Amino acid sequence: MSARQMLPVASTAEVRRYARGLMRRHPREWSAALTLHGVAAVAGLAMPWLIGRLVQAIQDGTTTTTVDKVALAIVGFVLVQSVLVRFAKLASAKLGERMLAELREDFVDRTLAIPLSTVERAGTGDLLTRTSRDVDALSHSIRFAVPEILIAIVTLVFSAGALIVVGPLLALPCLLGVPVLWAGSRWYLKRAPQGYLRESAAYSDLTDGLAETVEAARTVEALGGQQLRIERTDTDISRSFAAERYTLYLRTIFFPLMEVGYLVPVVATLLIGGWYYSQGWANLFQVTAATLYVQQLIDPVDRLLSWLDELQVGQASMARLLGVSNVADDRQESRGRPNGERLEATDVRFSYVDGRDVLHGISLSMDPGERLAMVGPSGAGKSTVSRILLRFYDMAGSKDKTLKLYEGHFHDLLNDVDKEVVMADIQAWIDARLARPTAKPTVKPTFASPA
Amino acid sequence: MRDLPVLDPGTPDHRSAARYLWWIVRLQKRTVIFGVVMGTVWMVAQALMPYAIGQAIGAGVADRDTTALAVWAGVLLGLGVVQAVAGIMRHRCAVFNWLSAAYRTVQLTVRQAGRLGATLPKRLATGEVVSIGTSDISHIGNAIDVTARGFGAVVAIVTVVVILLNASVPLGLVVVIGVPLLMAIVGLLIQPLHARQQAYREQSGKLTTRAADIVTGLRVLRGIGGESTFAGRYRTESQQVRAAGVRVASVESLLEATQILLPGIFVAVVTWLGARFAVEGKIDVSQLIAFYGYAVFLLFPLRTLTEVVQKLTRGHVAARRVVRVLSLRSELVDPTNPASAPNPQTSNLVDSESGVIIKPGRLTAISAANPEDAVAIADRLGRYSDSGARLDGVRLADLDRTTIRDLILVADNDARLFSGRLRDELTGRRTAENERIQAALYAANAEDILEALPDGLDAMVAERGREFSGGQQQRLRLARALMADHPVLVLVEPTSAVDAHTEARIAARIATARLGRTTVVCTTSPLVLDRTDHVIYVEAGRVVAEGTHRELLDSSPPYAATVTRGEDE
Repeated sequence: MSARQMLPVASTAEVRRYARGLMRRHPREWSAALTLHGVAAVAGLAMPWLIGRLVQAIQDGTTTTTVDKVALAIVGFVLVQSVLVRFAKLASAKLGERMLAELREDFVDRTLAIPLSTVERAGTGDLLTRTSRDVDALSHSIRFAVPEILIAIVTLVFSAGALIVVGPLLALPCLLGVPVLWAGSRWYLKRAPQGYLRESAAYSDLTDGLAETVEAARTVEALGGQQLRIERTDTDISRSFAAERYTLYLRTIFFPLMEVGYLVPVVATLLIGGWYYSQGWANLFQVTAATLYVQQLIDPVDRLLSWLDELQVGQASMARLLGVSNVADDRQESRGRPNGERLEATDVRFSYVDGRDVLHGISLSMDPGERLAMVGPSGAGKSTVSRILLRFYDMAGSKDKTLKLYEGHFHDLLNDVDKEVVMADIQAWIDARLARPTAKPTVKPTFASPA
Repeated sequence: MRDLPVLDPGTPDHRSAARYLWWIVRLQKRTVIFGVVMGTVWMVAQALMPYAIGQAIGAGVADRDTTALAVWAGVLLGLGVVQAVAGIMRHRCAVFNWLSAAYRTVQLTVRQAGRLGATLPKRLATGEVVSIGTSDISHIGNAIDVTARGFGAVVAIVTVVVILLNASVPLGLVVVIGVPLLMAIVGLLIQPLHARQQAYREQSGKLTTRAADIVTGLRVLRGIGGESTFAGRYRTESQQVRAAGVRVASVESLLEATQILLPGIFVAVVTWLGARFAVEGKIDVSQLIAFYGYAVFLLFPLRTLTEVVQKLTRGHVAARRVVRVLSLRSELVDPTNPASAPNPQTSNLVDSESGVIIKPGRLTAISAANPEDAVAIADRLGRYSDSGARLDGVRLADLDRTTIRDLILVADNDARLFSGRLRDELTGRRTAENERIQAALYAANAEDILEALPDGLDAMVAERGREFSGGQQQRLRLARALMADHPVLVLVEPTSAVDAHTEARIAARIATARLGRTTVVCTTSPLVLDRTDHVIYVEAGRVVAEGTHRELLDSSPPYAATVTRGEDE
């Protein structure tokens, strides 16, 4: 339920370009994984072939020795296939984990480079959603959808190849399933990603609401909010149910269509195979093997189609993650170096919302070691002044150039101290100074009087 | 399909996890039974397909019998259509059962949390209850869903076994022995897989938290130039997650390989036996093809059975956690014959343990040398802990808790802001005109927060109000407490997170807003104390001095030391 969405989203072209770049970075790993999967798929094609041979042999009359040999061959191929699958899976998982790590680390780098004014205006809500939900969605895509789809495509290509080798004419009935499958998936994929996104968003609203009720059980009791929480839960459930119902409707149309699309080629191969056989254009081995291959095609096609929508969801998440770097920088680091420790600001103006200035020309100057107290009611702009001095914000809208402080300056001063400690100190100092102007600073600000 | 959620989730059987699951199944028995029937039809239709294919090739193609071929192809098509229709019906039932079990569990948990109130966080770690939402409800849903498919799988296996036994006893026996054997071996690998998956999930959860920290602290980080340090740390943890992911994959790929190898050998054995029988003339070609088909098909119900075992186990564990929450009782027992509510406008509120007496209609401060004492007193005054506290001589323990909650509000800093519309957050149960809301916001000195929100009172508050600063959250909570307008209001450290000017304003405005109503403030801030009618100073859990702030400053040196701590050393 983040209210404001102001961070940009990358275009499809950018996402594709980035994905291609990601693949190009590991050419050897990619080819290794694809080769292993390919060889495993080929080994998996042996079974229908051998069964076809067996049927043909039995039809023609054969000995038990031949049968034993064929059975042994089947075992041999299964063994080879399973070993190959083990290494293929491992290789592609390693590659996936590696790309995933690169992606999320890259995203964090991008996030750390976002101009602060944008973060201030957009709120952290959108960014938090991107770091949690989008990174998760993308992980799911890369860990499961991408390898499944790749394996499906590889298996599909080789199975189709085997089918054509067995009998080019027997491969033709397969095409009968294509129109149904094509039209059905187009219809489904156009609607599914949106539907599933809405579904998972509604579901996490529901679980967030439950977490909130539980964590705040005492508050709920104190304010007598039990009924409100029950109503809120029921509203969340209704919304979740509506979203679930929509995707269920999509599947109710899509699944049976696909089933028919898978079945038609099998039946057609049988019928046409029978006709070819009766005409003497094909032998029993070819008809049997072709029918089994067509059946074996169902699995990769089904995998391909059922993972495509996940891939789309991952793509949408990736667009949001990459979009973070599309924010234009709001401040430029001048290459200038400070020529002293004196801090000077003249006529500083600043506005969070255009046209509503919160600072109307502040000027101040500080000598090294000098301590300055800023006094004013809440909302007067004390924090804004100090943030500008620290360059948390740039003075957008101010033509003034006399703020003689450079971005690199503080960093230089702080370089030899552990950054984390200093950061806590500065925050404490700011809090102490700004929240209670009367209180003495509990922490000596490191940068006011550098050692 | 009926609409969800149900209005009343009912009274669960929480005597044990299994009973709870059974209770849920009984409540949705119609869809569960329909799901089982459809699941069975769906599985059996698939089990019969190899037979049709075998006949089509054996009796149709091989014997050049066009009619037989057409008939068996037609049967195959028919089975396919039945399978598709039953499959989708089964799926619809499964989704409905899943959702209905999950939603009902959420509803029950929310109602139970409401009943337990302040007891809940004391009895159970929050994470444990929250995991009901994040994982347990899906496990329960899965357990209910998998029963329908599991039943279908068993029927399908039995069907195939009967067919095979009819054709040949040894073949049937291979299946009868092979199926459980395969399940057991695959099951062996599943345990280590789960352990590694768990480790992976934990580490990646930590990584997400780290990223969220970076985002929330972005302002400070960027201002100070701590980017590289944090990016470096994130990178290290990200690489650990990657390593954990690879560890998962190494078991997962092994499992995958096993699931090709063992069933493959199973298929090979069945086919080998079948082929030998065919050579010996015991069976024909169509049967051989069908045998191969059965063996391949069997892998599918087999996987379903493995899934059933897994999901039922996990569902049981999840249900155990749910049952634990549902069977908790509030640590404060309401009296069987509650006394009638005294009039708080005219009566003293007394905590005998500390000797604190709150007079009606006044703004009283409790100032404790040790702040925890003040919190304990507030808890007793609001009956969050058992005590002999009395209102108008009536023991709070003799009143219904709902009565007390309507009379006395204890507002502390652990209170939470809820997500949703700001207006609803402030008004709670009642509706209120804008002026009243504005007045409460004014009293809490929170007008500026409202002004900064583009949507004003209709703005959406994020979870925990995390988009507001600590001081803003505190002021909004105060406004909410003032809006609730209880006859007795106990505020615990209501200005601990705001600056001195704001504090002074809030102190003055609370005094006006609560004029003539009983109000207690637990604080040691002189700015607030100076605005109260009466101050009670507590040391070691007992009242040691009373009077106005100025009187006590003069008469009680320890009081003076407590409230001016660090100001004028």
